[in-house]
Amino acid sequence: MFDLVEKLARYNDLMISGSLETLYMVVMSLFFAIVGGIPLGVLTTITRQNHILPNKSLNYILDVIINIGRSIPFIILMVAVIPFTRMIVGTSIGTNAAVVPLSLAAIPFMGRVTDNAILEIDHGVIESAQSMGASPLQIVFKVLLPESLPAIILGLTLTAINLVSYSAMAGAIGGGGLGDIAIRYGYQRFQLGVMLETIVILVLMVQAFQFLGNKIASFFDHRA
Amino acid sequence: MIKIENLTKHYHASQGKVEAINGLNLKVNDGEIFGIIGPSGAGKSTLIRMLNLLEMPTSGTININGTNLTELSSQNLREARQKIGMIFQHFNLLSSRTVLGNVAFPLEIAGVKKKERRRKAKELIDLVGLSDRAYHYPSQLSGGQKQRVGIARALANDPDLLLSDEATSSLDPESTKSVLELLGRIRDKMNLTIILITHEMEVIKDICDRVAVLENGKIIEEGSIIDIFSSPQKNLTKKFINSVIDFNLPERIVKYVKAERPGKLIRISFVGEKTHEPFITYLIRHYSVDANILYGNIDELQGVPFGTLVLDLEGQPVNIKASIDYLHNQGLRVEVLSNV
Repeated sequence: MFDLVEKLARYNDLMISGSLETLYMVVMSLFFAIVGGIPLGVLTTITRQNHILPNKSLNYILDVIINIGRSIPFIILMVAVIPFTRMIVGTSIGTNAAVVPLSLAAIPFMGRVTDNAILEIDHGVIESAQSMGASPLQIVFKVLLPESLPAIILGLTLTAINLVSYSAMAGAIGGGGLGDIAIRYGYQRFQLGVMLETIVILVLMVQAFQFLGNKIASFFDHRA
Repeated sequence: MIKIENLTKHYHASQGKVEAINGLNLKVNDGEIFGIIGPSGAGKSTLIRMLNLLEMPTSGTININGTNLTELSSQNLREARQKIGMIFQHFNLLSSRTVLGNVAFPLEIAGVKKKERRRKAKELIDLVGLSDRAYHYPSQLSGGQKQRVGIARALANDPDLLLSDEATSSLDPESTKSVLELLGRIRDKMNLTIILITHEMEVIKDICDRVAVLENGKIIEEGSIIDIFSSPQKNLTKKFINSVIDFNLPERIVKYVKAERPGKLIRISFVGEKTHEPFITYLIRHYSVDANILYGNIDELQGVPFGTLVLDLEGQPVNIKASIDYLHNQGLRVEVLSNV
């Protein structure tokens, strides 16, 4: 038993840096998902027919973009955007490079999540704001976003958890993080202990994200 | 004053063209509570939603205090809408805001300063009797309380006109009464014009000054409450009135009408102060007829007594005719039910 702990402890530094790398990739991509995905989602919803700024062609384009983004398997996306990653980060290896495909995957996902969250708002609430003379911009910032905030936060949680799993894949092509460790040590060197340890950490990480997401969402949820 | 001319709304549905509103004309005076009643599918909702252009009319004009809404630019329309409050059947409050936040919302839209918003919102929350609920969220309120928030919110920008889209339809009878009472009080206090749509005649009877009956996108009858209630012309109107005041004779009387007997059976309808006059006593004394009261029903229309009475008159035919003439001359509506 003591032996095992000592064995595992040998990799402590490795595990800590791996976890931090994974967290870094997730948090950075989550940031881009918020900055890119939420506006994308809002724009998709409000340009729908019968919404506040109907625009058939723009809505169609946005919808297609979101669907394409979501239909490419991440492992393919990652490889396919390598030239683009190089252009932006200067390299295709490392955590910063991994953030590029991760963000590209997270943005359309977050866009769809936001779109769904906003669609859940009762149309009557939007109409009441229109009846008060609210402009489309006011409706977006004072009605749509605040009213769908709990659902958006839960969507962000979902995105974060997806990103944890994607980031492990990014490890496979040299992105770093826990996935990288699991493959190099656990798979390629048959170190089952390391493999298990990364899995335990990933499970805990996902649990923590979900717990936190639920807490924050319910804090903002006043729908009873 | 609100003037609606030749208003039409056509939809293109899968079943073809639907004519929701069909060349409708209407005038509503300032300070009036105007009710529009109709069965479901008559176009009530479409009509009221066109009054602030939530629904665009196919043709026609909507003139509110001299401004033709259909000609306004979207910026000007938004400004005009701030002066038209609206309350809804399902309240449509923001679940993410407290009562105070909801009432302050239209002020925020209008760009009122924060301090002033708070002051005004608190004043309105006071007015609708929810001071102790200012920091509650809508989900913590009852239906009646939610509608009070809706009303306070609709009044935030001191509107000239309040539109009520079935505002009491999802409330229990008690909350309905108190919400209607509040609307009446607000009208008196703020000299507001209120246009409401409903499918409940009770609502019309309780607070409206005038009423229009809508059927298949057209107004089929229109007039003051007293006029409409005392002499409805159209069947639909009669049906609505019957739902609150029973004009139908009980079975017992109907049998009596059919039976062979001497004398005449008449029905008298009366409105207002005439109910205070002892006309039956007069009838008996001056025309030497016997009057037997078979059935009676007195109701109140916003404080005005209003009723019907079924009398069996016996005596010389000449005297009976004279007494009926007398009642006519008193301004009562007399209807002969049998002529034996």
